[in-house]
Amino acid sequence: MTPLPAPTTRTLPFLPIAAAQLVAAVLVFGIRLDAPQLGFGLTWGASTLQLLLSLLLIVLALREAIPGTTLSRHALVVTFGASIAAVVGITWWTWTLSPTTVEPRAELVVWRICLGGTILLALPVLALAGWLVASAFPLRPRLAGALCGLGAGLMADAGWRLFCHYSDPAHVFGAHTLAILITTITGSLLCGRWLPRT
Amino acid sequence: MLGYLSSLVRNRSHAQDLLQDSFLQIHRSRHTYRPDLPVKPWVFAIARHMWLMDLRTRSRRPQAEGELLEIPVPADVASLADRDTLRRALRDLLPDRREALLLHHIWGFSFAEIGQLLGIREDAAKLRSSRAMGDLRRSLQGMRE
Repeated sequence: MTPLPAPTTRTLPFLPIAAAQLVAAVLVFGIRLDAPQLGFGLTWGASTLQLLLSLLLIVLALREAIPGTTLSRHALVVTFGASIAAVVGITWWTWTLSPTTVEPRAELVVWRICLGGTILLALPVLALAGWLVASAFPLRPRLAGALCGLGAGLMADAGWRLFCHYSDPAHVFGAHTLAILITTITGSLLCGRWLPRT
Repeated sequence: MLGYLSSLVRNRSHAQDLLQDSFLQIHRSRHTYRPDLPVKPWVFAIARHMWLMDLRTRSRRPQAEGELLEIPVPADVASLADRDTLRRALRDLLPDRREALLLHHIWGFSFAEIGQLLGIREDAAKLRSSRAMGDLRRSLQGMRE
């Protein structure tokens, strides 16, 4: 019987996936049109920050899955708060520097592409994180699943936002943030439903 | 562990059943134990989980009047009253405060470990234990008067 490695060690397989997620959309579809206007900080810099936050969330989910090392309510509030602050902050900053809106007739198509693309990219990360959580013994499976889902959603959006040309908060919150919310809820429901409690 | 479970379920035979289930679960999830961390919080977290799962599956039965908790008495207050009085006073404490008090004073957990076990901050664990001790002293004083 081999004991589980530390959560940080168990998160290492996510590093190449995170790197791939960061560049995948840009390589396939190209970088957003307003990239020169936003500069390195708000394109690659902000996405890397979001990616690091997503990796931290997965570390916390794996830590939560070890009995006796559960996260306090305060730590959870800080974690979820930091994630919301990061998404809102990056959105607001991007919108301030480069306000680009979606044409009304293309709204639905763009919404579908961004929502679907982000969720699709997040699913493999969520599956892997969920499997790693399940191989431990989470005493609060719904919470561990929500952390996995939030991490997966943030990781996928970090790459997708580099391709999406629109900075309108209505589009970002309505499609990108909604996708993150959906992966969070999906992670929570899947882990809560299928992980054995005893 | 039996003492801890007894303090949660208020019935020794029920606690023994839970203890058996806990050991079975400890064996099943033994791979999740990390040798670089202390074993006690890990073991108690699993036992506490088994109690919570048991609570969920059983319908809560009201405690019979006069039934006394089978819990050890903290040494700090052992001299203040007889054992039954102390048990009565402990029974009347709020459950979350009592748990923090017992984990610290009886089973020797640090407040950081209690925080991790109960999913609360270290400060909150300290506060719960200290409030429980205050409540206990006031309750015993009231009983004497």
